[in-house]
Amino acid sequence: MHANLIGLGALILVAGLLARLGRRFRLPTVPFFMLAGILLGPFTPGVTLFEHPADLDMLALLGLVLLLFHLGVEFPVEQVLGSGKRLFAAAGAYIAINIGAGLGLGFAMGWGTSEAFVIAGAVGISSSAIATKLLIELRRLANAETPVILGIIVIEDLFLALYLALLTPILSGANSAGELALRIAISFGYLALLFAVARWGARWIGKIIDSREDELLAILMVGLTVLVAGISAEVGVSDAIGALMIGLVVARTSVKERVERLVLPLRDVFAAVFFVAFGMSIDVGAIGSVVVPVLIAVGITVLTNVTAGLITARLFGLNQRGASNVGLTVLGRGEFSLILATLALAAGLDERIGPFVALYVLILAVLAPILAVNSRMLARFIPDRLLHDRWRYVREETISTACTHMDRIQITETDTDVCPPCVESGDTWVELRMCLTCGEVGCCSDSPNKHADEHFADTEHPIIRSLEHDDGWEYCFVDATLIREPAGSAQPSS
Amino acid sequence: MGKGVHIQELPGVGTRYDVALGGGGRRVSIVVSRDGKRHLYVFEDAGDEPDAVVELTEEQARKVGAVLAGTYFTD
Repeated sequence: MHANLIGLGALILVAGLLARLGRRFRLPTVPFFMLAGILLGPFTPGVTLFEHPADLDMLALLGLVLLLFHLGVEFPVEQVLGSGKRLFAAAGAYIAINIGAGLGLGFAMGWGTSEAFVIAGAVGISSSAIATKLLIELRRLANAETPVILGIIVIEDLFLALYLALLTPILSGANSAGELALRIAISFGYLALLFAVARWGARWIGKIIDSREDELLAILMVGLTVLVAGISAEVGVSDAIGALMIGLVVARTSVKERVERLVLPLRDVFAAVFFVAFGMSIDVGAIGSVVVPVLIAVGITVLTNVTAGLITARLFGLNQRGASNVGLTVLGRGEFSLILATLALAAGLDERIGPFVALYVLILAVLAPILAVNSRMLARFIPDRLLHDRWRYVREETISTACTHMDRIQITETDTDVCPPCVESGDTWVELRMCLTCGEVGCCSDSPNKHADEHFADTEHPIIRSLEHDDGWEYCFVDATLIREPAGSAQPSS
Repeated sequence: MGKGVHIQELPGVGTRYDVALGGGGRRVSIVVSRDGKRHLYVFEDAGDEPDAVVELTEEQARKVGAVLAGTYFTD
């Protein structure tokens, strides 16, 4: 038995130390693992720990499989399905814009059709791990746009499965259109089969791996996952999808929580090996030749993300801050881009994809957190009219946590343009207010009769809106707070 | 949940509970992560910059919660 334990140990240790250094500056970990691989790999002058990166193949593949398995296990199916059409529209727009631009870029680079699809995926699908960590570190979990951002990246994860199912047949090098169509059909058929297992067969799978002892559960879970991944690869679907799908199946069994806990440290270690191994396959000398396309790709990614952020903000009625936070938080690229590049290299595509994706991920790894921290600067440049037609919601959504009675809003329009009780008693009024719960119109607190205040005292309907044209603010009596500011104060709150 | 507590699902992270503390937008938001961690956000006004953020493990959260709820005391 011969194994380069010294090399492996040093490699993982250096990767961990580098990533820890990066974390001091709040940079994501994945690019640093890759960087360790590049620095210590055979193509870089200096220390070379592995003459043949292929020696790491088995461990790296295990990392890839566990990475996707964990993604499947913790995929929040219910939360996504229950999240409504607006979120799917926003995520759809995000994916369409990013993948579309990626395809355009891929074809423009002229490396080939398969290469274009890989590049589209690598620049189009953001890293959920980086975005989630950013939201926690930037203390934005309580922001109005945060559920939207998280929803988008989760739907992106799901899209990744579909994209892999499409990509693997394309990469397999089919000779004719008919053969390609057949392979795509097999790929999606296999995906449907695994979905069916997830839907109806989860109980049986649960029985196979269930054990009261953690030790046995961990072993059975890894065995099953690797086997399914291997079979998937054999069928012509990628091992990555197989792992993801078996994760979705296990997520529906009674052992889900324990599996989630047990797989995490395994995933962390072996995924790191996967990223390191990818880095080792990068020829530093080739990076020079891809600098220009990478810079263009980074520029395009920033642009498409900001655009997608604006679309999302319009859909959800967020303000400028929300729009730029959405666009700049999902900017990070990491694990998925590296997975796609690995698949491409394994399929023997243009070798420039390796350095291209490596440099692209490295640049965005540093750029994305910096831009996300300073998203407020971008917010200042977003003109009102891009978001303005849904202005009604702009303030509401952003500070919705300040007023907890928004669910009492039932009526928002009225034709009444007088204060009915004042008309009856022959009095006059200064301004009109409308109750957004029952639609009753009354006079304001500067009017002699204060019928709107009286209405609140009688009914406890919390929210009123000013009916003076061009005014239109809304106020919650219970929380004593404006929930929609007067038109014109369009600037972000700080 | 009782009146004045707003529940928001955070896909992939957990659940957020927004609790209003009377006027002026004062509120606390508690994010219960799926890994058991709690993030406690305190807002003194209606803006979206928290005045304090505390991260608690499940065990610490239980302790703080018990004290807040008045079920833990020594005497």
